[in-house]
Amino acid sequence: MSNEHVTEPEVNETQNVSPLDDFDTAETVSTAPVSDDSILDFDDDPLSATSVSKKSLVIFFLIDTSGSMKGKKMGELNTVMEELIPEIRRVGEADTEVKVAVLTFSTEVRWMYSTPIPIEDFEWARLRASGVTSMGAAFKELNHRMSRNSFLSSPSLSFAPVIFLMTDGYPSDDYKEGLRELQTNSWYKFGLKAALGIGQEANDNILAEFTGSKDTVVHAYSGGQLAQMIKIIAVASSQIGSKSMTLSDDTNHELGEEDVFAAKQKLLGQQIQELVSTQTDGDDVPFDTGW
Amino acid sequence: MIELEIGQEVEMEFGGKAKVLSVIGSGGQGIVYLVRFNGQKWALKWYDINKMAEPAAFRKNLQNNINDGPPSNKFLWPKYLTKEAEDGTFGYIMELKPDGFDSFVDILNTYKLEIDPLTGRAVKRPVKFNTLGAMVTCVINIVNAFRQLHRAGKSYQDLNDGGFFINVNTGAVLVCDCDNIAPDGSNFGIGGKPGYMAPEIVRGIAQPNVQTDKYSLAVVLFKLLFRGDPMEGEKVVRDVCLTESSELKHYGQNAVFVYDPNDDSNRPVRGIHDNIIKFWRIYPDYIKDAFIRSFTTGITDPSKRIIENEWQKLFIRLRSEIIQCGCGRTNFSSMFIHQNEKTFKCPKCGMEFVTIGFSNRDYRTPLYLGCKFYACEIIPESDDFSAVAGELVENKLKPGVLGIKNCSDRQWKAKMPDGVFYDIAPGKGFPVWQGLEIDFGEVKAHI
Repeated sequence: MSNEHVTEPEVNETQNVSPLDDFDTAETVSTAPVSDDSILDFDDDPLSATSVSKKSLVIFFLIDTSGSMKGKKMGELNTVMEELIPEIRRVGEADTEVKVAVLTFSTEVRWMYSTPIPIEDFEWARLRASGVTSMGAAFKELNHRMSRNSFLSSPSLSFAPVIFLMTDGYPSDDYKEGLRELQTNSWYKFGLKAALGIGQEANDNILAEFTGSKDTVVHAYSGGQLAQMIKIIAVASSQIGSKSMTLSDDTNHELGEEDVFAAKQKLLGQQIQELVSTQTDGDDVPFDTGW
Repeated sequence: MIELEIGQEVEMEFGGKAKVLSVIGSGGQGIVYLVRFNGQKWALKWYDINKMAEPAAFRKNLQNNINDGPPSNKFLWPKYLTKEAEDGTFGYIMELKPDGFDSFVDILNTYKLEIDPLTGRAVKRPVKFNTLGAMVTCVINIVNAFRQLHRAGKSYQDLNDGGFFINVNTGAVLVCDCDNIAPDGSNFGIGGKPGYMAPEIVRGIAQPNVQTDKYSLAVVLFKLLFRGDPMEGEKVVRDVCLTESSELKHYGQNAVFVYDPNDDSNRPVRGIHDNIIKFWRIYPDYIKDAFIRSFTTGITDPSKRIIENEWQKLFIRLRSEIIQCGCGRTNFSSMFIHQNEKTFKCPKCGMEFVTIGFSNRDYRTPLYLGCKFYACEIIPESDDFSAVAGELVENKLKPGVLGIKNCSDRQWKAKMPDGVFYDIAPGKGFPVWQGLEIDFGEVKAHI
């Protein structure tokens, strides 16, 4: 795993911004005034409240729209993504505001919308496939946008983002250089990463390099599987990502930072593996046969 | 079977089959379905036993709870178990949430999403308490439900905002998700929901019990009244990204209450925690002090946490201190001008409210048209906080004359302007005047 260093000092000392850390410092915060005796100088209705302050979670979908995705794969993908949105809507509850950002990569790299969209308002714009697989460029673009000054500009607290990569082929550009840049990004380091390889051509090793572990990489060989896997990964990762970590108490000792480090990513790996192993293959025809 | 199919039939333990009609929702431990059983609709919770440490012990505990029955009618309690399927999976059925109840989550969100049947789009519908009285009654009901549960020797274990349905018109409460309830001291694997879990559970040095329930209860009450997280302030927001280790720090090892009087490192932040900043100015000191105690000394010393009976007394007092002014302003007496020892004055319209003193408490209660007092306030041995014992009404034959009506089933005595005590039978009343004294039996009151 790329993020196995147990203590990342820059995360805990946001005051001390290192160039590698784009969590940035929270702006100077203005805290509550010392109590004030005047009664009528503010809205004092005990019933008029705004929503509790929410933590924000951005789910990034990185989707390969190269020419090889054309046909059944893209058809399945568009359909399942449309169906998925209402399912993810439920995961935030009162604690989390969930937003979605979709980055597609083929010859060019393109965001579906210019900013992350709240899940309640999100509408899937159907994707079309053509061109080559510029995965490295997608990683660079993601790195660029995963910053407080850009897509992660929540005024309040954020959970680390969910990043879900889907591809059916080998990158046509230098993905390693892009990944190296991405790996310096703290949001990426602490993010929940998962990847789905579609068809025979997708390279699980590259995907594991991206997610940091093989547990969070799955493969779909047919349309039915593709739909199942996308749902499993997207729902599991947004559920885990949108909630605080339920820490395990079976260690029989007081938990330290090392016990909880990357706990969500590990949990995601376990859940994905459990769910994948219970799925049946079904009778549908693999993408690569019957031609 | 992790998931059930629509139309599938599940065999119940004591015979009969429940037919799956639709999915109601899913949670960490399983999925809840709408089912038909014995000609009636029920909710069926079906477990994913892969996520359970000891399914057999869990089932046994559930069975015990079903046999014991609910501590009161405030619980949506498990009713019947299903048979175990071949792979060991099982579930239980319970009554459906009645109409007119909203989830606590929706109240915290201030809206709920409803799908417009015509467009298929999600539409926001506001959810908020209709009256201040309903909100405080809701708090009393929550506290009372946990008092009943703890008196039955059980703990809820994973108390959080998903555990209640609330009627925003009346303040009625239904406690749901009762399947993790266990005898105090036992735990069948549930840890709880972060933000609601006691710090010692977050740190991994304790398991859920009655004491940790008390911490979670304080969080629930704080969220309901102050609409924010008691531990999320400046210190937490500076972390920007809430990683696993920052959670361990801010909710476990170094949890600091946002209004800790001895530590101002974690005050609420304007623009993010505006609710808390506003409401902290509104509530009277005895309520704020109870939360300060819960979230300062109560963090490290579980025995210092507020017990339910104490919360109940505090909130019954708070309800009695609501003033509904004729100008439309409704607030706690702490937000009215304390004109003199016996009078409050509305800062908006100037209307004055006399108070009445009861012999069983050291604070005075404001009187206004429509105000009520309850059985538990005038009968020492009564725990009944919902039966109205008396109400301030206008005399139907003499408009403008205010008096107190005896709504209880006991006879009172009241001193009339002629200086003589008269018997006041149930249904009768007497005028409020400068020298009024009331004898309820053991408890007395005077203006």
